[in-house]
Amino acid sequence: MINDLWILATASLVAAACSMVGVFLILRRQALLGDAISHSVLLGIVLAYLLSGSRDLFVMLFGAVAIGLVTAWLSDTLHRFGRIQADASIGIIFTLFFALGVILVSLFAGQIDLDQECVLYGEIAFVPFDTIYLGGMENGVEIGPRAFWTILVVFAIVLISILLAFQRLQTVSFHPSLAASLGINILFWHYFLMTLVSMTTVASFDAVGAILVVALLVIPASSAYLLAKSLKGMLWIAFAYSQVAVVVGYAVSYQLDSSISASIAVAAGILLALTIAIQLLNKRYRQKQPAKQFAPEQASSNA
Amino acid sequence: MKKFLQIAKRIGLLLSLSAVSFSAQAQLQVVVTTGMIADLARNIGGDNLKVTALMGSGVDPHLYKATQGDLRRLSRADLILYNGLHLEGKMQDIFEKMARKKAVFAVSDKIPEENLIQHGKVHDPHIWFNVQLWIEAGKRITEILSQQDPKHAQIYQQRSQAYLKQLQELNSWVHQQIELIPQQKRILITAHDAFNYFGHAYGIKVMGLQGISTAAEFGLQDVKYLKDVIVANKISAVFVESSVSPKFIQSLVAGVKAEGHELKIGGELFSDAMGIKGTPEGTYIGMVKHNVHTIVEALK
Repeated sequence: MINDLWILATASLVAAACSMVGVFLILRRQALLGDAISHSVLLGIVLAYLLSGSRDLFVMLFGAVAIGLVTAWLSDTLHRFGRIQADASIGIIFTLFFALGVILVSLFAGQIDLDQECVLYGEIAFVPFDTIYLGGMENGVEIGPRAFWTILVVFAIVLISILLAFQRLQTVSFHPSLAASLGINILFWHYFLMTLVSMTTVASFDAVGAILVVALLVIPASSAYLLAKSLKGMLWIAFAYSQVAVVVGYAVSYQLDSSISASIAVAAGILLALTIAIQLLNKRYRQKQPAKQFAPEQASSNA
Repeated sequence: MKKFLQIAKRIGLLLSLSAVSFSAQAQLQVVVTTGMIADLARNIGGDNLKVTALMGSGVDPHLYKATQGDLRRLSRADLILYNGLHLEGKMQDIFEKMARKKAVFAVSDKIPEENLIQHGKVHDPHIWFNVQLWIEAGKRITEILSQQDPKHAQIYQQRSQAYLKQLQELNSWVHQQIELIPQQKRILITAHDAFNYFGHAYGIKVMGLQGISTAAEFGLQDVKYLKDVIVANKISAVFVESSVSPKFIQSLVAGVKAEGHELKIGGELFSDAMGIKGTPEGTYIGMVKHNVHTIVEALK
């Protein structure tokens, strides 16, 4: 029971952090940046392994965050200064990094099991077993899963950043030219956001695995995009969608004995599909109503 | 139809599980990672254990995905056994942490360093292909079971002696079989490097298209080099593996044939997972016999 609670709490924090960051990615048309980072981290972990000779988790995490940052920064820079479309520049950078990683693996580490699936991506079902101790491993107090505390810190950083910089982020996202004329350092805020994205995704990869992170970055924010009328509203709706997806997905995985992260991702997708369906029905209903009013008139004119 | 069968199987499994849990509360609940370890533990523990494997038959450990139920299985287990040497990847960190609170052991943890194959700084985890090392793992399991369940220690010792004797016989049988292949033709070519222990123990040269990880790509040079070896040594067969896609090996065969040499696929070997439960290949001994038969038939 306590294990289920830890998993739900961790998933809920990952979902909250990813959906909030995802809102800005959707608005900037960089929705697949998370997916891109999930591939390019291969280069990060290979470099980290080659430099340190160890597959220790912290070494791997360090390499992954570093390459995640470089991916986010470089694809933004390529878009900005190379005048290449935002989505294309993401595609260029992450495939380049992934390919470099593959070459390095076959050159130097062909005999070792070294890929992000094996050394970096976490499995949310095992979160409760990976606990940390306050005050040393031997006689310290057990304070719960490592992934929970890591992601709690990341969530706090994301939340505080958005709360403190809300006005700036809003102006930069919606009115970049206005922001420039107001003397706001646009570059700084873009890179600030990219840093948040990279940190959130890599920490979440470690906690819950790649597919769920990519899904939570894109789907709740997309659902919110359909409904919201302001940035604030979009953030709240994305947050709500992500939390419902976590609860529903976990219940489904319990019933079906299926993968927890895959079930949450599917739940998020179904919620989005339902939202679209309801919106379409609503639209059709509204279109039909005036048609009904005209119908008797038409009938009488025909007569 | 396939799906229906799967569901029917699952219901059957549920029924049998609930029947078992009624009949024997005193059974030690043992959760293991691979099918090979499950087989070893069942043979040694007999009816005193209820063994559950996390990775189903045919599942490549590199591609294993945990389910919600695995969480429950692990938290309810009295004893957890895993392969170790990083076969389980990131899960190994979790097992090492769990070991502080629970009986969690790597079956490879008492195998002397000099018997392990090293690649750079890390060990090759596929120890079960050397039957001698698997006997060591069996001894380790016997030791662990006797510690965890001292009341039945004697039964475990007896069963273990009987089963390990079978493995001992299997080991000499494999040696004899490999002797049947002409010295020059003792080269085993497969999709990935899982058979290094096998080659090392039984004197057969092992070459693979991929590195150890099934995810790594191979280079053009590797393929060309393999082609040269095949042609130079007049090798008549290469092998596909049950848990790795056969397409790389198929393209290698096509490539060699295009150069006018005869090369066939010698058959399917079980590498990272055993066969389906209930078939002879679903047991460790059956799997080893199947592999050796296939290799000897194709190469001699």
